[in-house]
Amino acid sequence: MTKTQPVIEVQHVCKTYFMEGGNSQSVLKDINFSVNSGEFVAIMGPSGSGKSTLMNILGCLDKPTSGTYILNGQDVSTKDDIALAKIRGQTIGFVFQNFNLMMKRTIADNVSLPLVYQNINERTRYKRAIEMLNRVNLKGYQSRLPSQISGGMQQRVAIARALINNPAIIFADEPTGNLDSKTSDEIMELFTTLNKQGITIVLVTHEDDVADYATRMIKISDGHKVYDGLRKEYSKEKDKPC
Amino acid sequence: MLKAILKEAWISITAYKLRTFLTMLGIMIGVAAVVMMVSAGQAVQTYITKSFESIGSNLIVIGPAEIVSGGVRGGRGLPSVTVADITALKELKDVEATSFIMPAAVQAVYGSSNYGVSVRGTNPEFIVINNWEIEDGIMFTEKDVKAAKPYIVIGQTVVDELFGLQNPLGKTMRLKGKPFTVIGTLKEKGDGLMGDDQDNVILMPWTTVRQRLEGSERPQYTNIAFVKAVSEDKMERVSKRVEYMLRTRHRLKEGVKNDFTIRLMTEMVEKVRSVGFILSALLAVIASISLIVGSIGIMNMMLVSVTERTREIGTRKALGAPNNWIMLQFLAESILISFIGSFIGMIFGVIFSQIGGYILNYEVPISIWSVIVSVTVAVVVGIISGLMPALKAMRLNPIDALRYQ
Repeated sequence: MTKTQPVIEVQHVCKTYFMEGGNSQSVLKDINFSVNSGEFVAIMGPSGSGKSTLMNILGCLDKPTSGTYILNGQDVSTKDDIALAKIRGQTIGFVFQNFNLMMKRTIADNVSLPLVYQNINERTRYKRAIEMLNRVNLKGYQSRLPSQISGGMQQRVAIARALINNPAIIFADEPTGNLDSKTSDEIMELFTTLNKQGITIVLVTHEDDVADYATRMIKISDGHKVYDGLRKEYSKEKDKPC
Repeated sequence: MLKAILKEAWISITAYKLRTFLTMLGIMIGVAAVVMMVSAGQAVQTYITKSFESIGSNLIVIGPAEIVSGGVRGGRGLPSVTVADITALKELKDVEATSFIMPAAVQAVYGSSNYGVSVRGTNPEFIVINNWEIEDGIMFTEKDVKAAKPYIVIGQTVVDELFGLQNPLGKTMRLKGKPFTVIGTLKEKGDGLMGDDQDNVILMPWTTVRQRLEGSERPQYTNIAFVKAVSEDKMERVSKRVEYMLRTRHRLKEGVKNDFTIRLMTEMVEKVRSVGFILSALLAVIASISLIVGSIGIMNMMLVSVTERTREIGTRKALGAPNNWIMLQFLAESILISFIGSFIGMIFGVIFSQIGGYILNYEVPISIWSVIVSVTVAVVVGIISGLMPALKAMRLNPIDALRYQ
């Protein structure tokens, strides 16, 4: 895949939640953008702006009410739950704010978990887990439990888990939300390194410091995309529906 | 896939050992109770059946007719079958032996000891028909019967009570003041079906009972008679021949009811078996209640587990776990808990029933079907009790599950 080929194409995506009593709430309104392979994109926006909903749609955890979402060349907006689970397992890597590790399982087990659902044998899973742990500088930690390592290390484990299925894209939802500033910097440095290795990264954050590591920024406000451009060129005055 | 699911399920249930053990306990107790109760029922069944079979399953028992007055049964009538009838029955085809009892209850005296015993006047074939064995000495013969010899064969209780450590053979004891010589002792039989002491018995020729003891008012008649068929499959035919011959000998016209009753031992054994089966089934049903309680425990634990692990479920789904994978994992957890619990319960059930049998001196058979049924039921219970939580886990929306605090 060349660097200019789009991994994500979002076309006129809207998301409306229908509530009891006939009320509805429009969370995303006519969102359009694409993300090319190898990009490092930060999705920003205030609380309640719709950025998490957008992230859920991009991560195939939710479907748009209307519009088209093309991920890695295939239209996923109309896929059923089984197909979406398969896409999540094979095409996407997730990094969560709370790390979401299995606390009773070893680091190696946690890292290799996505491969379990792809029917890959235990030996291969373990081998791949060791490789991924080396990649995130956690060599020798495979037999420990998550409770035996620091929060920063736990997030590295989560990143290793996101990398293990060679995803087309990594989605990180507030990846530094539970970390101190020094550890946050280390995690963001790791994301930068991975991006330089060619991995496409989309992260959701409300922290400017974290967004500064991204090259491109998409800002959402009240369900509208109000900015889409280089992070370094962003200024609040430019915010307008686009 | 199945191996991976089972491994994930195993890791999950072993992560919370105490909780899993406490949940298993319900199923363990339930299965152990079922196995023990069924074993107890079968032990009783086996005991009764063996008691009958020790008498001989190819036996036909002839007794007095039932008195029925105005549709109400009034017990047994007077004995109507004579010794001559029984002797004649021996000549029938497929009849191996015949015997009968003329009972009397007397006080037996030896030296300064005395003991109340049950006397049975009979013929030499009595011990053959009833599968009794001589311990020491001999059984009286047909010659002794004809001569009404005062020879007696005594049971072990009589030996213990009257002779103690002495050898009773050749000794003379007194019954109703008359002397009788002990020519043999019987092997120990133990208690009868009704808890009666089968060893508190004295056998003597029926002619001796008539002549030397007081006898009954109708001394030619026997209270109970036995006809032994050559084999079990000939029982029906032999019983028909016996009925025909007795009716002929008693000159009973057509339409007149029998003045005797005929019972087949096979029928009695079958009845006892069916009663034993019902008893076992009843006990199993009662014990199954604890299995139901155990299954509710599993369902409760699994529901709690699904709630506790909501975020884990969300994470697994986000990482590519299909919905059916999530469902099967939770189902596998409940099946594993119930299977392991039932397996341990089965082992305890077998051990405890054997210990119980040893203490109570009963032979307790290990019922394979009760083991298979209880383990199968436990697994089915595991599936049923795990299904609802598993479906709940499967239906969780990954976004809501990931947000769960």
